[in-house]
Amino acid sequence: MTVTPLLPKNAPFAPEEIELLNKVVARTTPQQRSWLAGFFAGFEAAQGGAAQPAAAAKPRVPLTILYASESGNCETLAMKAKKAAQKHGLEAKIYDMADADMALLAKAKNLIVYAATWGEGDPPARAIDFYTALMSDAAPRLDGARFAVLSLGDTAYVHFCAVGIAIDARLEALGAARAADRMDLDLDFAKQAAEWSEGALAKLAPAPDAAASGTVVHVDFTGGGYQAEDDEPQFTAENPLEAEISALVNLNGTGSTRETWHAEFEFDAPGFFYQPGDAIGVLPENDPALVDQLLRASGLGSDAALLLKVQKGFDVTTLSRAAVENYAKLTGRSDVKKLLDGDAFAKFASDRQLVDLFETFSEKLSPEQLLSLLRPLPGRLYSVASSPKAHPGEAHLLVGAVRWASHGKQRKGVASMYLAERRKVGATARIYVKPNRHFRLPSDGKTPIIMIGAGTGVAPYRGFMEERVETGAKGKSWLFFGERNYTNDFLYQLEWQDHLASGALSNIDVAFSRDQPEKIYVQHRLWERREDLQSWIADGAHIYVCGDEKGMAKDVDAALLKILSETAKGDDDAGRAKLKELTKAGRYQRDVY
Amino acid sequence: MTDKRAKNEIIKEQSRQLRGTLAEGLLQVETGNIAEDDHQLIKFHGSYIQDDRDVRGERGKKKLEKAFSFMIRLRIPGGLMTAKQWLALDTIASTYANGTLRLTTRETFQYHGVIKSNLKRTMQAINAACLDTLAACGDVNRNVMTAANPHLSKVHKQAYDLGKAISDHLLPRTGAYHEIWLDGEKVEDQSRDANKGEEPLYGVHYLPRKFKTVVAVPPDNDVDIFAHDLGYIAIVEKGELIGWNVTIGGGMGMTHGDLNTFPRTADHLGYCKPEQAINVAEKVLTVQRDWGNRENRARARLKYTIEDRGLDAYRTEVEKRLGYKLGKPKPFVFSGTGDPLGWRQSIDGKKGEDKPWHLTLFIENGRIKDRPGMALRTALREIAELGISEFVATSNQNVIIANVTAKSKAKIEAILKSHGVSLDISSRLRANSMACVALPTCGLALAESERFLPELITALEDGLDKAGLRDDDIVIRMTGCPNGCARPYISEIGLVGRNPGLYNLYLGAAFDGSRLSKLYAQDVGKDKIVQLLQPIFLAYAKGRKSGERFGDFTIRAGYVKATAAGNKFHADIKLA
Ligand code: SRM
Ligand SMILES: Cc1cc2nc3c(=O)[nH]c(=O)nc-3n(C[C@H](O)[C@H](O)[C@H](O)COP(=O)(O)OP(=O)(O)OC[C@H]3O[C@@H](n4cnc5c(N)ncnc54)[C@H](O)[C@@H]3O)c2cc1C
Ligand SMILES: Cc1cc2nc3c(=O)[nH]c(=O)nc-3n(C[C@H](O)[C@H](O)[C@H](O)COP(=O)(O)O)c2cc1C
Ligand code: SF4
Repeated sequence: MTVTPLLPKNAPFAPEEIELLNKVVARTTPQQRSWLAGFFAGFEAAQGGAAQPAAAAKPRVPLTILYASESGNCETLAMKAKKAAQKHGLEAKIYDMADADMALLAKAKNLIVYAATWGEGDPPARAIDFYTALMSDAAPRLDGARFAVLSLGDTAYVHFCAVGIAIDARLEALGAARAADRMDLDLDFAKQAAEWSEGALAKLAPAPDAAASGTVVHVDFTGGGYQAEDDEPQFTAENPLEAEISALVNLNGTGSTRETWHAEFEFDAPGFFYQPGDAIGVLPENDPALVDQLLRASGLGSDAALLLKVQKGFDVTTLSRAAVENYAKLTGRSDVKKLLDGDAFAKFASDRQLVDLFETFSEKLSPEQLLSLLRPLPGRLYSVASSPKAHPGEAHLLVGAVRWASHGKQRKGVASMYLAERRKVGATARIYVKPNRHFRLPSDGKTPIIMIGAGTGVAPYRGFMEERVETGAKGKSWLFFGERNYTNDFLYQLEWQDHLASGALSNIDVAFSRDQPEKIYVQHRLWERREDLQSWIADGAHIYVCGDEKGMAKDVDAALLKILSETAKGDDDAGRAKLKELTKAGRYQRDVY
Repeated sequence: MTDKRAKNEIIKEQSRQLRGTLAEGLLQVETGNIAEDDHQLIKFHGSYIQDDRDVRGERGKKKLEKAFSFMIRLRIPGGLMTAKQWLALDTIASTYANGTLRLTTRETFQYHGVIKSNLKRTMQAINAACLDTLAACGDVNRNVMTAANPHLSKVHKQAYDLGKAISDHLLPRTGAYHEIWLDGEKVEDQSRDANKGEEPLYGVHYLPRKFKTVVAVPPDNDVDIFAHDLGYIAIVEKGELIGWNVTIGGGMGMTHGDLNTFPRTADHLGYCKPEQAINVAEKVLTVQRDWGNRENRARARLKYTIEDRGLDAYRTEVEKRLGYKLGKPKPFVFSGTGDPLGWRQSIDGKKGEDKPWHLTLFIENGRIKDRPGMALRTALREIAELGISEFVATSNQNVIIANVTAKSKAKIEAILKSHGVSLDISSRLRANSMACVALPTCGLALAESERFLPELITALEDGLDKAGLRDDDIVIRMTGCPNGCARPYISEIGLVGRNPGLYNLYLGAAFDGSRLSKLYAQDVGKDKIVQLLQPIFLAYAKGRKSGERFGDFTIRAGYVKATAAGNKFHADIKLA
C-alpha cells in the first residue's frame, strides 16, 4: 500500500514551516526519505538525544482469503475478515473459489479458507472445480505456506462440515502449516466465527515491528496526508497520472435496466491528493471503431498510425458550430456552408456527432487537414467515491454507462464506455484531481449531514461516510438514495448496511421509481420525512445534493423549498430566503451534472 | 436441565402468537430481508422469504445483498375461485409479482418475486379479492384439498363443503395476520374473528410441524389421499354420501442419507358419519399437537408419531377424545391420481337439463405465463373476463374452467386457440407429469425441476414412440430435493434431485397412488435416465399383461421390489 510522506497539520512545526517541508518532501523518493530518516536519527544519537526516528509504516504481510459459499454465509465471513485483516497488518486479497485456481493457491503464503458444505457433504456449486482440483494430483505443494480453515455446516446433515474438514486435511497434506485449528460451525455460527477469525488473523499477523516500541514520535502515515486547500494539485489534465485499474465492477444486478460501474484506481504517487467531494478527471480514449468510421469517411481508412493518434488525443464526437465552419472552409462545400444559415445547424447537430457530418458530406482529406478540424480530447469528471484515509493510494469512481441511439446509429459515451467496455482490470488510465471546494464535509464532525442523491449521485456520499468513519466523526448522518429497482440498483447496498450497523450512518431513505405502479422519487421521500428534516436543519445540518441536474436536482431543490416554506408557515419568500441563507452559509451544497 | 426442544418451538413460543418483529421488519428499508426468526414466523402468514439463486454468485461482488423476494401462497380450500377472483389474482401477478401465477400441487396459487416494499400491499390486494394466505404454510393445518371440481356431482360438492369447513375450523385465530397485513381491518370472510387474539386450538406452540388434510371422491384419487397427514374418502351408496373413511399418517418428505426419515403412505384410521367428520379432524390434529415430536423437526410429522406410538394407540386416543368409537373402513375403489383432461360434464343433475360442462386444462408444472407463441395467462384472463365460468385449481397443478353452459364451450375454445393454447398434449406421459418449483426460488433445491422436466420428457418421448407408448398413461414426477413437493415417491416414475444435474430414479409406485416406489438408480443425469428407461418402456410394451400398469410391471419384471410400507422404503434396494 502507499503512504503519503507528508507532515500532518499537527506536526510540531509552524504552519508555514510544515508547508515548506512538505513542498520538499512531496517530491522525495523512498531512498531520499530513508536517507533523511537515517541522517536525523544518527544526528540525534550523536548528540545523545532521546528521540527515535518516527515509526515507518509497518510492512504489510500478504494474506489470501478464499471462500466456498452457496447462500453467502461464508462469503460474508470472508469479507468481514478482509476488513479486519488491515488492523492486523495484513494486506488481504479475497477470492470466491469460483474465481480462483491452483496457480493462485500456489502463490498464497498466508491463507484463510471459509468453506460451506452443501448437498450431501458436497462443496457449493460454484466451488466444485476448485475443490476437485485441490483434491486431485494437480494440486501444488504448499510447503512454507500457513493456513487456517473455518467450515460452515448444518448438524442436521449427515456429512456435517465435510467440505471444510476435507480442505483442512488436504492443505496440511500438501505441506502447508496449520496456523489456527479448524472450527466446524452450525447454522448459529455468527459469534464463534467472528472470534475464530480474530484469532486466526492474529496468528497469521506479522510480529509487531521493533521500531514501534520505545520512545517514538507517533505519526499517522495511513491517513493519506492532507493538502492545504490552496495548493495546486500536482496531477492535472495536462499532467495526468497513469493509474492502474485495480477493480472494475458493474454494480447493477443481472436483469437491471441500469449499468453503473465501480472503478478503483491504484497508484503509488504521494502527490496525488484528493478529498471526499472532489472530482477525479479521466482522460479517455476514443472507440477505435468510431475513429475508423471517421477516417474512412475522409478517405484515410488505412492509416493505422493516424487512427491511434486520433483515438488517444482528439475529440471525434462533439459536433460544434466551429467544426462545421472549419469543415465548410476547408472543403469549400456550399451545402456544408448552408448548415450555418439560421437554425440549420441546430437542426442538423441535434443528436448528431462529427462522424455524421463527415459521412453526410464525405470529402477526401489529408491527415493534417483532418487533425486541423479536431480539438483535443477533453477529460470527463467523476465525483470521487472514496476517502483516501480509508483507501490510501486508491481513488474509486462510480461511472454510469452512457449509450443511446440516434439517426440510425448506436452511440456510446466516450469516457464511460472507455472504462466500461474498453478497459480491463490491470490496465491503466490517465486520471487527475479536480478539487471541489464547494462540496465538502463540515469541518466539525459533530455537524449533522443530509445526503441526497440518485443514481451515480450517491458516489460522493460513499467517500463522505468513509471519511467520517476514519476521522471518528460523531455527527448524525442521513442518506436519501433513489434509483429504479430495489433488487438490482441499490448501489453500495452492503456498505450502507455496514454503516447503519456501526452507527456511522443514522438514517437511510430510499426511493425506487419502478418497483410499484406509482413513481416514487427522492423528492417524495424528502416530503414524507419533512418533520424530521426540519428539526435536523434547525440543528444546523448541512444538506448535500448530488447527481443529475435535469433528472433530480431540480425537483429536490423544489421539494426543499416547499419544506422550508412550510417551516416558515407557508411563506414561500421566507422559504426561498432560508434556502439562500443556507447556501451562503455553505450548508446547502450541490454537485450536479 | 437443558431445553432439548427444536429451535422453532422457542421461536413460536416467544412470537406473541406469530407477531415476532414482522411489522418492524417491513419498515427496514436498507434490506429486503427480515429478521432470522421472522423467516419462520412469516410462513404461518402464507409467505416465505427467498432469494434468486441464479444470481447468488454475483451479488456480493456487486456490493448487493442477496436478491431477496417473497413467495406468497394463497389459501383456497378446494381450489375454487370465481372469475372475478381470477382476474384480481392475475392483476396482482403483474403488478407486484414476477408476472406469473404458479398453480401448486395442493390446489392453490403461489406468487414469486414480491419484494418487501410490496409485500403488504400484495397481501391487501389478495384480501380485497376475498381470499387470504393465512396458514397456507407453517406448523398448522394447511390449505385443504378436495376432489377436484365441486360442480362435478352432489358428492363432490359435499367433499368441497367438508374441506372448506375443516379449513375454517382449524384456522389459526391470532389477530397477528390482520394487524400486520390488513392494518387490523376485518376480512370479508366470516371464518375468522379478529378480536379473539389467542389460539384455543393451537396454543402458543401451534403444531410440531405442518399438517395436511385432503378429501377424495372415488374413483378419482387426484388428491393423492395416501400422501397426507389426514384424509377423507367419500363412501357413496346409490349416489348418496353415507360417510367417510378416515386415513392418517401419509407424507412424502425425507432427507437424503438419513434412514430415519422416509415417505409413508397413510393408514386407515376408521370410518365416520358425515356429521362427525369435522370433530374427527379436530381430534386427530390435537393428538398430533400433544404427541408429535417437538425436539427433532425431521421426525415431527404425524407419520412418525404413528411409527413411534403405533396406529392403534393413536386411534384409541382419538376415540377417547371423541367420546365414541370410529367404524370399520368401508370398501372403495380408486382408478388413478391424474386429472381427466379436456371437457367433462357434470355427473348427476336432473334428466334432460343442460348439465354444466368443465374443461380441465393441462398446465405444464403449474406455471401460468405468456410465452412466445402461447399466451396462456392472457388466454385465461380473457376467459375470466367473459364472466361465464368459475375456476378450480387441481392437485395436479392443472386448472379447470368450471361450470359453463354447452353454448359457451366454443367461445372458450376459440379464445384458447387464438392464444396458441392447444388442448392436445404431446404424450400421456407429459399429461401425467408434475415437477416442483425448485430453482431458482426454492432455498432447499439441490437440482433443477420445473425448468428441467419438460425437456427430459421430450427426450423420453422418442423412447415412448419406439415402444408405442405415447398414448399410455404413465405417471412421472420430479422434485429438486427429497422433500417431495410433487409427491414423487408415489409416482410410477419418480425423479428426486441430489446434486446439480443428478437425480435419484424411483420405480414401482402404484398408478392409483396406494403404493410407494423404490430406488432404482442413484445420481443419474438426463442421458442416463433416458438410457435406463428406454429398455423398460420396450419391455413393458412387449411383456405387460392386459391392463397391467407400468408401476406394477416394473415390480413383476423385477426391476425393483415392491415397497410394502414407508418404513420399508429404504429396504431391499438393488441398484441398476
Ligand atoms: C409449491 C409446492 C410445489 C409445487 O411445485 O407445487 C411446494 C413448494 C415448496 N415446498 Fe413443499 N411444496 C408443495 C407441496 C408439497 C407436498 C405435496 C403435498 O403436500 O401434496 C409435499 C409432500 C407431502 C408432505 O408434506 O410430506 C411437500 C413437502 C415439503 C417439505 C417436506 C416436509 C416433510 O415433512 O419432510 C418441505 C421442507 C420442510 O417443510 O421443511 C417443503 C417446502 C417447500 C418450500 C416452501 C421450500 C422451503 O421450505 O423453503 C417450497 C417453495 C418453493 C418455491 O420457490 O415456491 N415442502 N410440499 C407445493 C405447494 C403446496 C401448497 O400449495 O401448499
Ligand atoms: C462535477 C461532475 C461530476 C460528475 N460525476 C459523475 C459521476 O460521479 N458519475 C458519472 O457517471 N458521471 C459523472 N459526471 C458526468 C461525467 O463527467 C460524464 O459527463 C459522463 O460520464 C458522460 O461522459 P461520456 O464521455 O461517457 O459521454 P460523452 O461522450 O461525453 O457523451 C455524453 C453526451 O452525449 C449526449 N447524450 C448522452 N445521452 C444521450 C441520449 N440519451 N440522447 C441523446 N444524446 C445523449 C449528450 O450530449 C451528453 O452530453 C460528472 C460530471 C461533472 C461535471
Ligand atoms: C440443501 C442444503 C444442503 C446442505 N447440506 C449440508 C451438508 O451436507 N452438510 C453440512 O454440514 N451442511 C449442509 N448444509 C448447511 C449449509 O452448509 C449451511 O447453511 C451453511 O451456513 C451455508 O453456508 P453458505 O451460505 O456460505 O453456503 C446444507 C444446506 C442446504 C440448504
Ligand atoms: S421438493 Fe425440494 S426443491 Fe422441490 S420445491 Fe420442494 S423443497 Fe424445493
